Amino acid sequence: MITEQHEELASLHALGLLEGAERVSFERALAGHAELAALVNSLVETSAAFALVAPQVEPPAALKARLLAAASATVQSESAGSNVVSFPLFRWLPLAAAAAFALTALWLGSKNFALQQENLSLRTEKELADIAYQTAQGQLKERSFVAESMINDLGRQLREQSDLTHLKVTALASLAGNTQEARAIAVWDPVRETGLLTVEKLPAIADNQDYQIWVVDPAYPIPVDGGVFKPDAAGKAVLTFKGDKPIKTVAAFAISLEKKGGVPKAEGPIVLLGK
Amino acid sequence: MSNVANISGVTDQSREQADLMLAMARRDKSALSRLYDALSRPLYSLALKVTNDSAEAQDIVQDVFLQLWQKAADYTPARGSVFSWAATLTQNRAIDRIRMRRRRAEIITESGSEIHGGVTGAEAATAAESLGMQEQATAVRAALGGLAPEQRSAIELAFFSGLTQQEIAARLNEPLGTIKARIRRGLLKLRDSLSLRS
Repeated sequence: MITEQHEELASLHALGLLEGAERVSFERALAGHAELAALVNSLVETSAAFALVAPQVEPPAALKARLLAAASATVQSESAGSNVVSFPLFRWLPLAAAAAFALTALWLGSKNFALQQENLSLRTEKELADIAYQTAQGQLKERSFVAESMINDLGRQLREQSDLTHLKVTALASLAGNTQEARAIAVWDPVRETGLLTVEKLPAIADNQDYQIWVVDPAYPIPVDGGVFKPDAAGKAVLTFKGDKPIKTVAAFAISLEKKGGVPKAEGPIVLLGK
Repeated sequence: MSNVANISGVTDQSREQADLMLAMARRDKSALSRLYDALSRPLYSLALKVTNDSAEAQDIVQDVFLQLWQKAADYTPARGSVFSWAATLTQNRAIDRIRMRRRRAEIITESGSEIHGGVTGAEAATAAESLGMQEQATAVRAALGGLAPEQRSAIELAFFSGLTQQEIAARLNEPLGTIKARIRRGLLKLRDSLSLRS
């Protein structure tokens, strides 16, 4: 039976107005209520018709060519397999191991933390720094005993190889709706002023676009350019990076979507951010 | 069945678009090209209306079609028409963009992003001038015209501005419960006018 409250929630849901716990609760109710799901579908169809009353504008002809090229690139990447950026493994072994350690913790933690991550989506409208901080802290709290023992073991092995206490390890959190599954870890060595970035599940981008990493150093008025990269078909990439200026203090890392080759000052949307 | 149902309901056109999705799942680029030809104009117009930025609108449309391309195998007609799926993706991405723009503006203490108003009569008059969608757009505009002005303004703010429920209530200077009721009654009436009942 459909109540007035059902109709109200379904209408708000169709227009994307449900957020946080209210949205999660409604979507849970939808799963077991065929009549309600049908109502939602009909209202989504209705709201979609709104696209037709926006002033109609023809997209630039180049957009189709860009799209088809990006689709071709996706197919080629699928068949070609991984296209991970190469880096000197032995030289960066400590950094890579640290990134692997952090990613392992994130992955295991996320098994039990998916619901909270949903609530931490962009629609909560919290400040960027809070999102990054809460995501990283929450995931660490949720890590399992197995993960902890793995971490301890890995940490012990790493300490035997070199002293990593000076490294800054940062988990970057998603800021854009289409990168909510993205994972990124940045490890920064302040002595060498060099970092290692590992990302997973970043959305595919067009040939004329690159992701660009930025290092936020309070000494400079704008973030320092750390270079560009493009993930493989699975959204993975690993790269070493340096700022294009000397970096003394790292306050945060950010990843933005820019035109190919990058830009001197961030112009596109910031998709990942972490302190 | 109204004209709008010709793009949103179970019709030849929506079946054809569902078939294109099946072909895209088999990595048929010509199917992607045909789906783009059919839907890019209304989707781009929607993204442009929400973001008021041509470059962002292009990024959004490309992103949406790439997602359709990559998730084509997941599509089933039971989830709704391809058009409504694509329009919902476009609207969500566009609203994410303007909300992100606002957050960025708050952080760097620059001026906030502009919230666009509803569809004006002049804008509506120019809607869907080609691509064979004039009749559908006319039907939607007629249905919108049948709504009470307060219902129409609440729904338009929700769809095009990216405002939250609370922000819409504040903008219209009405209690939140009143806004929710207006949206419910307005959207149900629109659905009935467009013959899109489940």
